[in-house]
Amino acid sequence: MPSDLMQTVVPGLIEHIPITLVYWFVPSVLSLLFGTLLCIVRVGRHNVLYWICTIYISFFRGTPGIVQIYLVFFGLPKLFWIFGIDINDWSAGIYFIIATTMNLSCFMCETLRGGYVGVDKGQIETGLSIGFSRTQNFFRVIVPQTLKVAILNLKNLEIDVLKDTSVAFTIGAVEMLGYAKGVIAASYGSGQLWILGAAAVIYFVMCTVLEIVFTLISHRMERYERRVA
Amino acid sequence: MELDYDFMISDFPTVLAGLPKTLVLTFWSMLWALIIAIVFGSVILSRVPVAKQIVVALNTFIKGVPLTVQLLFCYYAVPFVCKWLDSIGVYDFNPRHIPYFPAAVVAIACNFGAYITDVVVSSVKAVDRGQTESAAAVGMTPLQTVVRIILPQATVISIPSMTNYFIWLLKGTSLASIINVAEMLITAQISAADGYQYLEAYVDAAIIYWAVCAAIEFGCDKLYKRVGFFMQPSRA
Repeated sequence: MPSDLMQTVVPGLIEHIPITLVYWFVPSVLSLLFGTLLCIVRVGRHNVLYWICTIYISFFRGTPGIVQIYLVFFGLPKLFWIFGIDINDWSAGIYFIIATTMNLSCFMCETLRGGYVGVDKGQIETGLSIGFSRTQNFFRVIVPQTLKVAILNLKNLEIDVLKDTSVAFTIGAVEMLGYAKGVIAASYGSGQLWILGAAAVIYFVMCTVLEIVFTLISHRMERYERRVA
Repeated sequence: MELDYDFMISDFPTVLAGLPKTLVLTFWSMLWALIIAIVFGSVILSRVPVAKQIVVALNTFIKGVPLTVQLLFCYYAVPFVCKWLDSIGVYDFNPRHIPYFPAAVVAIACNFGAYITDVVVSSVKAVDRGQTESAAAVGMTPLQTVVRIILPQATVISIPSMTNYFIWLLKGTSLASIINVAEMLITAQISAADGYQYLEAYVDAAIIYWAVCAAIEFGCDKLYKRVGFFMQPSRA
């Protein structure tokens, strides 16, 4: 192992972890919101809005993430240009976050919908019958039970999103892998396998931590189940 | 929006010409992923003492690393492997023609092989235990039980998850564009480079991907309904 190279590269990789985490966290939070909204439309009546959302979801699930990133990167400035707004000087990271949010919302919606379908309908009726308002019923009855069913799929989804941040370098947003690629290019490809190996280990550690956190959350959510059983 | 619609239409066949390459890449990756998954799955299911732990650890590691990193790793490792393979058999190392296509196949196959291993394991476990016991009761040998009873049922059970991963894999092949494998996305990129009409070319590519994925989903759904008739609850 070329130790002098690793001494400079590994701290550099670690310095870029926060950027990777931002590219993971911001889309996750935003798409939890948008995904919930999409899900509410998708489980409701089959009106025009339902079909628009269905086509939107089908598109984002049927095309590769990298194509969506390119579409947003090249398409959004043109779209804003119609309204006379110039967003060409936005940094690439913002485009990446927008594209990932649009993509993840669809997957989030489908995951939550799967969880919602798994909720006993009697629970919802019971909630209404004991006098919860619709908002109260949503937050106190539907959300906890939906999340409990969906949490395992959510875990897989979040791990995928964390890993997919590594695609951001294709549009020039420098996160961890972008930095690694930069170092490899600057040193004309020497020691590339070691640099990528170090990046792989860091990604693996981050994914493991995420997995452990989600497992703890899901154990906590299932605490009522175990008491009955 | 100012889109060059004429270019978009005239570029469509050019982008479509890249589709066979994507499908070939998908085919080989899926084939090797299945082989890896079946081997790993059998090791896990048959509980071979040390090999099982190794396979599980390997799977966990592969799943914890982005496909992009694996692709880049294989891409950069190829020259070393080629040099090492030089003059073994008929292969002749040529630094100007390094085969990047196999590198992409290896990376994608390893990545999805790890995921599909889970599908294999869970599908076999989903076969009703009573089936195995009945097979033993009518005097089948373990090999016969596996080949005639468990495998046919597990295959059908696995179709929906396999479809999912198949579509994921097809979409994942677009990442091979970052290591210069000439699949559809690269074709679109090259065709757009002359006039900087990237958006139009990418819209074309997106439409084709969408259509192909929808077709695969539709086809596999039909297949599942066709062969999965025994899975429907009996109306007795």
